[in-house]
Amino acid sequence: MPKRIDVQRAAHDLHLRTLSKISRPLDRLIYLASTRDYNTGLYYHDGLAARFSEEVACEALADCHREAFRELTSSSLEDLVSQMEAYMASLHTSRGEFIAAWRKLEPYRVAIPVNTDPLAAEFLFSNLKVALAILETRLSIGPMTEPGAWPRPSLVQ
Amino acid sequence: MIQLLLFLLVAVMLFFSLYLLARRSSHAEGSAQDLLEARQALNALQNGLLPQEILGRIFAKEDLDYITSATPRCIHELLLEERKRIALSWVGQVRRQLLSLRQFHLGSARFYAQLNFRTEIRLAVDFAALQSACRALQFLLYLRGPYAAPRMVEATAAAAAKVCGISEKSLAFLKPTHLSVIADSSSRDRATL
Repeated sequence: MPKRIDVQRAAHDLHLRTLSKISRPLDRLIYLASTRDYNTGLYYHDGLAARFSEEVACEALADCHREAFRELTSSSLEDLVSQMEAYMASLHTSRGEFIAAWRKLEPYRVAIPVNTDPLAAEFLFSNLKVALAILETRLSIGPMTEPGAWPRPSLVQ
Repeated sequence: MIQLLLFLLVAVMLFFSLYLLARRSSHAEGSAQDLLEARQALNALQNGLLPQEILGRIFAKEDLDYITSATPRCIHELLLEERKRIALSWVGQVRRQLLSLRQFHLGSARFYAQLNFRTEIRLAVDFAALQSACRALQFLLYLRGPYAAPRMVEATAAAAAKVCGISEKSLAFLKPTHLSVIADSSSRDRATL
């Protein structure tokens, strides 16, 4: 069987068993980036490798990672803010800490697939920066305040 | 005296011929690099800079509408600043890649592609018009922000895509299918030898 068909089957399997349970592209991007070894750039997934092969699993994960990146890049800013809000709520950490860490460390910079077009990557980083600023304003003034009365967000780290 | 002049003339002609030969061989060495750069420029334009998917997102008015209606003024300013940076980066990259393609057409394309004179002239005019359009767009985006000239962005992208189409034909022989045919034939040649 040609390798490419195997990769497609592995990607389909990954969608069926794992990715379909992660509804937001942002979560999928972070999950798939976490399966990549920082030192080698290769993706690892024991279950998938056992059913197919390590090489096929790696390529399938890379394909799914690129797809999640494309989906996230084509999300509107409003959608990105809701995705980030939901992601933040799903973590066991305070919103303030999350926003401070994401602004200082910019962990999303290492979560993009390799060989991504630089402009698309820069566009996503820029959108995430704006989304973080929006969430920070929401956090600093509380949910009941009128939009017109919102103060400037604190940019002091 | 006349003999000396004749000898000098012959010497100058010989040196000139040597210079021409040297230039020609250095061009042959550089041509592979030209081809590679042209192919990379074409890929960057077709896959990264010109697809409607990414262009539509960068210049999406719906993001501005959302920010204007649902967030404070400072976020509005941040969005405009960020989108302006991205838009300027986009037009700058389009311009650079087009320059690289033009370089290929000026220097090497005639050795590889059978473009007729009319197409070459049309291409030259298109390149010149695109360079001017990119400059004007950069100026407009810089002065009036990322949402200042949506029609001009569309028109520039469409014109660039058209030029890419012609360049694609000129570089078609570099496609993997063509290369595998070349590789196959060269390996057959080696086997025969």
